[in-house]
Amino acid sequence: MDVKILGSGCPNCKRVEKTAREALAEMSVEAVVTKVTDMEEILSYNIPATPGLMINGELVSYGRIPTRAETVSWIATALDKAG
Amino acid sequence: MVVSDLIFLMLQSGLGSLASYLAAHVLLCLVPAFFIAGAMTALIPKEAIIRFLGRDASPWVSYPMAALGGFVLAVCSCTILPLFAGIFRQGAGLGPAITFLFVGPAINILAVSYTGVAIGLDIALARILLSAVFGIGIGLIMAYVYRHDTRGNQQAMTEGPFSAKATVRKASVVLLLLLLAGLIVGTLSVPVLRDPYLQITVPLGEAGTWQAALDRLVPYDASLGQEGVSLQGVLLIGLLVVIGVSAWFGLNAIDEGFNRWSWTALAMIALTLLTSALKTTIVPEGIAIGFTGRFFGELVVVCATGLVAAKWMESEEVTEWLWESWRFVKQIFPLLVVGVFLAGMVRVIIPASWIETLAGRNTLLANFVGVVFGVVMYFPTLVEVPIANMFLGMGMHRGPLLAYLMADPELSIQSILITAKVIGQKKTWMYVGLVSIFSTLAGLLYGAWVDGASLWRMAGFMTSIVAIFVGLIVILWRFERRKKESALEPSR
Repeated sequence: MDVKILGSGCPNCKRVEKTAREALAEMSVEAVVTKVTDMEEILSYNIPATPGLMINGELVSYGRIPTRAETVSWIATALDKAG
Repeated sequence: MVVSDLIFLMLQSGLGSLASYLAAHVLLCLVPAFFIAGAMTALIPKEAIIRFLGRDASPWVSYPMAALGGFVLAVCSCTILPLFAGIFRQGAGLGPAITFLFVGPAINILAVSYTGVAIGLDIALARILLSAVFGIGIGLIMAYVYRHDTRGNQQAMTEGPFSAKATVRKASVVLLLLLLAGLIVGTLSVPVLRDPYLQITVPLGEAGTWQAALDRLVPYDASLGQEGVSLQGVLLIGLLVVIGVSAWFGLNAIDEGFNRWSWTALAMIALTLLTSALKTTIVPEGIAIGFTGRFFGELVVVCATGLVAAKWMESEEVTEWLWESWRFVKQIFPLLVVGVFLAGMVRVIIPASWIETLAGRNTLLANFVGVVFGVVMYFPTLVEVPIANMFLGMGMHRGPLLAYLMADPELSIQSILITAKVIGQKKTWMYVGLVSIFSTLAGLLYGAWVDGASLWRMAGFMTSIVAIFVGLIVILWRFERRKKESALEPSR
């Protein structure tokens, strides 16, 4: 699983990363977690507002900090789609 | 002057500056403003505004909404650029995106309220009004100039922030209005708020001597913009330190829940607000504490806010709100303190005559100098206000001052670079040029008003500018309609 957090370093982005890691741990899923902080790259994903969360290339959340429960459900959906 | 004397003078000036800028009346402004900023970020979903900025939006709606969006959505500079890119690529296009980009930093709630309190209400209002009107104007002009350029809108629309439905909950609106009331009650200078209705004298015979000692440490020097420190001021600074510590432990991780520190922090904040609203005077017997109208007003606001938060808001909303507010404090306040201190120090070194010659009168050159300075020097959010105040004290005319205040938040090297990546270098330079021209113009207009130009003439001038903008909207609107019609028609 590939998880990307899009954000240029403001505190919200760090929280999204924390939530994502916690959700992954809860689901016991192995994932490559990358934090994208380069503005140009962030903009290339066409995200309307940071912070953003992408799972396996799909933008699941933007502009807010998702709850762990939400993140868990997105991970589950991504696992379904992949497997 | 001996170097050590100079350094001492600089340090004293820095401290004095700091004391003035953390004075009671500033806290009454900044505390509510930070909470307002936090509430806007936490409680207003972006979709509520940007759904008016979709591709099919009529320009009559998209431009004003872009301006409103700039005010409400763009408190954090890290939000502005992605939203700008989104509006440009997937939404209403270049014009509204540019309006958003301009208005965001220009009408930042924190900066504007701070300007109002530290420099003057008139300049703050001028900043709001002129930024909104000119922001829309700049967007319109760029949309008109590049109306044949459709490269921007080629991106496929992802399921849309621009088509989503989202509204602001009533409770959030009530909370925002309450916070705004708190801001106004705290800062408006009218007798009904200023005068004490109840006075208690605390017997503290040494109060007079303490105050004299304070005055020696931090002298009152109007020419250097220092108001000295009162005993009340010292108490407030102490409270601020307590808030800092308790908020660090209590609000940093408030999304995980309230702890004892959180409640302490909130109580201290309320206490600071109320203490700032008191009017203290040194009398022979001790200190006379006056309970002003402001005090009672703030008391009502604080209680009402607590009530609304407890009864009508979800706990996630409240924690989110507090987290965002504290986040802004952490981001901005330390830099503000450092900036104010440095400005106070530097003020001793720069000869006032330089400022007077360059920008002492409301000329075109003076305003342009204000803009250039704003563009070239980068200051973190809010620091441009004490810097501007420093120039004011050294003889800068209020017109060029406004020009500086408008240009400074807009253009930094970093934002120009990123803007260029989104809309291209040529358009970016046009944007920079337009911002400079309009900031200069804004300064000239406001400066003329300050110098006593008739209000009718000013109104007439503004009306003609607005009329030009309206004309542009009409042209663009018809142009877009014709484009859509010809796109729908099969080839003739």
